[in-house]
Formats: sequence, C-alpha cells, structure tokens
Amino acid sequence: MITFAFSFLFPFLVSLLVVQSVAKNVKKAPQGWRLTPILALISGILALLPVGGLPLARWLIGMNANFSFPLLAIAFNKAWENATGSRVLDHNASMASWIFGLAVGLALYPMALGLGGFDPYGLGWGLSWLFAFLAMATIVLLLMKNRFAVVLIACILGYDLHLLESANLWDYLVDPFFVFLSFGALSNRLIGLLRKVLSDRKGMDGIGQETASTG
Amino acid sequence: MSRRAVLILILVTLLLYAVPGRRWYSSMDQEPLTFAFRLPSSQSDRGLPQMTEEFINRDPGSATVHVGSICEMTGGRLVACWYGGTREGARDTAVYLALRDPGKRSSWSEPRVVADRDSASRELRRYVKKVGNPLVFADSQNRLWLIYVTIAVGGWSGSSLNVKVSHDGGRSWTPSTRLTLSPLVNVSELVKNNPVQMSDGSLAVPIYHECLGKFPEILWINAEGGCFRFRKTRLAGGKSFIQPSMVVRDPRNAAAFFRSCSDERAVGMATTTDAGTTWSEPQHLELPNPDAAINALPLSGGGRVLLAFNDSPRGRENLQLALSSDGGVTWQRVARIEEGKGAEFSYPYMIRGSDRRIHLVYTWRRKRIKHVVFNEEWINSKLQGASQ
Repeated sequence: MITFAFSFLFPFLVSLLVVQSVAKNVKKAPQGWRLTPILALISGILALLPVGGLPLARWLIGMNANFSFPLLAIAFNKAWENATGSRVLDHNASMASWIFGLAVGLALYPMALGLGGFDPYGLGWGLSWLFAFLAMATIVLLLMKNRFAVVLIACILGYDLHLLESANLWDYLVDPFFVFLSFGALSNRLIGLLRKVLSDRKGMDGIGQETASTG
Repeated sequence: MSRRAVLILILVTLLLYAVPGRRWYSSMDQEPLTFAFRLPSSQSDRGLPQMTEEFINRDPGSATVHVGSICEMTGGRLVACWYGGTREGARDTAVYLALRDPGKRSSWSEPRVVADRDSASRELRRYVKKVGNPLVFADSQNRLWLIYVTIAVGGWSGSSLNVKVSHDGGRSWTPSTRLTLSPLVNVSELVKNNPVQMSDGSLAVPIYHECLGKFPEILWINAEGGCFRFRKTRLAGGKSFIQPSMVVRDPRNAAAFFRSCSDERAVGMATTTDAGTTWSEPQHLELPNPDAAINALPLSGGGRVLLAFNDSPRGRENLQLALSSDGGVTWQRVARIEEGKGAEFSYPYMIRGSDRRIHLVYTWRRKRIKHVVFNEEWINSKLQGASQ
C-alpha cells in the first residue's frame, strides 16, 4: 500500500512543474504562500484525475514504475525553486547529483544490458560492495557538507521501506531519465566552461595584440 | 550543515545500512542452495512403447495461438497454458488455461482466460497494451504459478514479467504482481522453459533479456505469506543466446541449453557446478537452431537428456526429438514429431508426469496447442530403430 501511495509522488511533482510553467507563461510568477498551495492542489487533482479507468499518475507509472530518488529530488528542487525562489539543492549538490547520475549510469547500464558476462544489477538485490560504496560516498559527501548526501540517505531509506516497486537498490539510485538529465546538464556546463575559456583566451589575445601594437 | 547535523546524519546513514546488513547476516546461517534433485525413475524399461497425441484447444479459425507450457499437479491433474489472439502481439491476446484430470476417459477442459490486458491493467493498476508469453508450473506445495508477459509500449522488447499464484488448482488466482527485473524501465524480460525446484523451496525460473543485448538469465523466486521475494542472475552476456532450458544432473550440477540468435545457427549449451550460481561460457552444439525455442528434459539412466527442437538452421517446419547420453555433449536424433512444408511447429515444452510418461506440448501451425504423450520405451524403441 505504501509503495502504491508513494508511486503518486513523482507524477505529482511533474504535474506541479507543468502547472508552475503554465502559471509562469500567463505572466504570473508561480511564487508566494497563497499561490503555491493552489498550484499544488491543482497538480494533486491532475495526478488523481481518472482517465480511461486509471488515475493520470498511474499512466506515467505504466511507462516506468521506478523513478529514482535523485530524479525525485531534482524535480522537488525545481518545484521548490519555482515556489519559493530558493533552492534545496545548491550548486555543489546539483553538481554532485549530475556527476553521480552519469557515473552510476555508466557503471550500470552498459553491463546490465549485456556488455560482458558480469551483471552489476545483481549487486542491488542484497548487501554487496554497492551498499558499502554508497555508504562511503554518503559519509564523504556529509563530511564535505554536500546536500546531495541527504538524497543518498533518502535512497537507502526508500530501499529499506520498499517505497518503489523495485526491490533492487540500483533502481533507487538511478534511472535512464536521470542519466540523460545528468549527461545533458554536465555537457551544458562543459560547453559553457569551454566557451568561457575560449572567450577569455580571445580577450587575452586581443589585449596582447593591443599591447604589442601600442608598444 | 552544522557539525552536529553532519554527525547525526552519519549515524542515521549507518543505521539505515544496518537493515540490509542484518538481513545478510541472518542469511549466513542458511544451508548453501542446491537443486532439489530427483533422479528420474529407471523402472520404465518394463513397459511397452506408448505414444498418443491430441489437441488441447479447438481450431480458433483466423486467430493464432502460441507458447504453450504444461505442468502436473499432485493427483495427476495436468494444467496447460498458452496465449492466443487475432495475431501475435495483438491487443486482444489473452492467456488461456486448460485442465485435464487423470484417467483415460478424461479430456482437456474448455480453455478459459486467466489474464488479458483488461485484467492485467486492473490488477497491476497501470496501462497494459497487450499480454503474451505465459508459463505455468506447480511447486512442491502444489501451488500453481503463472508467470506471463505484459507490454505497455512497443513489441516484445517492451515486455515485463508478472506473476500470479493459485492455491486451488487454477480455479482462482492472486492478483498479478509486477516483477522488477531490469534497470532499463523494467522492460525486455521474458520467460520460457521449465523452472527448477531448489532445496529451500524456492524456484529457479529460466528467463531472458531481449533488447540491446540478448542473454539468458535465472529468476530466483519464492512466495512467502503472500509476498514474492526474488532476484535474478545471469547465465551469459552478449547477444547470442536466449531462452535457457535447464537440466539438473545432481544437487549441484546442471546443464542449460539455449536458443541461438547469433549467425551461428546452432543450439547452445553451458554448465554449472555450483547449483546455478556460476555458469561456463556457452558453446554451440552440433544441433542446428533456426533462432527458435528448444526444450530439454532429463531422462532416466544417468546423464540422458531429451531435446525437442526445430532440426533446421532456417525454419520451423519440423519438430524433432534428439537424445544425448553424455549430458548434452553429443546427440542422436530419435524421432521426428512433425514435418510440413511452409508449416510451423514450434515452442516445445516437456515435463515428466508422476506416471513416468513424458508430456510434450507445442505450437501446431499457430492454430492449436498439441499435446503428445510418450514413454521412455517409445524413445528407446525409436533409438533402436534409428541405429539399425
């Protein structure tokens, strides 16, 4: 029952993001303590809206029943940012989540989909080095005071309580959408960084040429 | 985050990881898992050769049927299931079940639907486009299990596995439970061939993945107090072999035979010496395989294995039985069960009944599920005829 109830959370957050985006487009920032509960209520109604005999949320679950906790955290962070103007996951936590998503996705998917004889997905069914690695990563991030550690704590809490349909820890850590999102975000950052480096170099060259001609 | 908050969160982390740690620690007391091996009786040499054949379902007209499986319950009742619809992968496909009570005058019951897209959608509380490939089997507690495929998007590569259990011989079933077995939005998991009973009462069910890679796997599943505990392990990686069929030799040793989906159109084989935990690298056998399902069954006489397969690298126009006396390394063709130009005879599935007779079901021209019954004397007589 708890798993079924929890399955509505991600569709609700997606619905809230859509409703907030619509509110933004009608020239009204989706912020404020009055507007946010109304938008959340609309999103809740949308998620529960029966379509073809099923709540709208369960249609999304029919496509994927295991949206990872980091993806949930990212969706929550975005909705919170839209509602309050502040972020739950700061810059460092966001960077940690993107790096985590890409690294874990690369470690899991190629081999889990048949590359080689070893199946890393098998490590998620019960205590294995995956659990040890994750516990270590969580503690290191906590010592670095990185808020993404709280998301990792939520992953193991969700696994212990069986909040997702899956009984495999990997599904609490990562899903294909989170990996694509991580790849996109990191690529974006990398491109931005390269542009900045190139423009800085151009600027430096310009100053150098100017100095040479005036000298 | 304050220093105090960090310390509290580290403590919380350690406590949360202690839960799976405790589960792992308590599992250390358990005996190592082995196959619940029962050597097939060799008393059958005293009987006369017997072979009968019948159809389980009526001719469905323009509709199609496929992927039959059969099992025997305590008392000798046979249960068969398959899927049928206007065509393979059509939205109106349903999983059908038929029963046959013991006794010579008995016949197969009228098939009835046990799962279709409406019931699956209702029980799983999500959108289901179509259902497919089912497997029925009975466990040591005389419970009937049905594992079947549902698809929400796309074709067979979009398959997910679901399980239902019946405690009353197939009259009523528990609601379907979705098995999450793949990290890729839980798709591309399918089932085919006989499960193996394990020493702790759990079952090792041969499954396979069919998406970017194509490889055989084992689903380890147990039902306790209305909950399913399961995990899966891999038999091999790559994209060459699917649909494993396991033949147990003793509590730790078994062989698995595979459908080949590589350019080398030959049946594959791998072995285990640790009750399915690890497997040897699969090798191609001398038997051809047109990328079609096979099924293997252990016979009496130590190391004898019977294989039902399409004896061609190209098509499914025949169904052949072959026998190995050395655990599956070398084979001798025994009998051709079906042959017809342009026809399809496929997806064989065999069990050994409590009366030692062998039951073979298969797709007959995509119209009917055929049930062939024979004994080992019939195999032996065919073998003698072939060697003379």
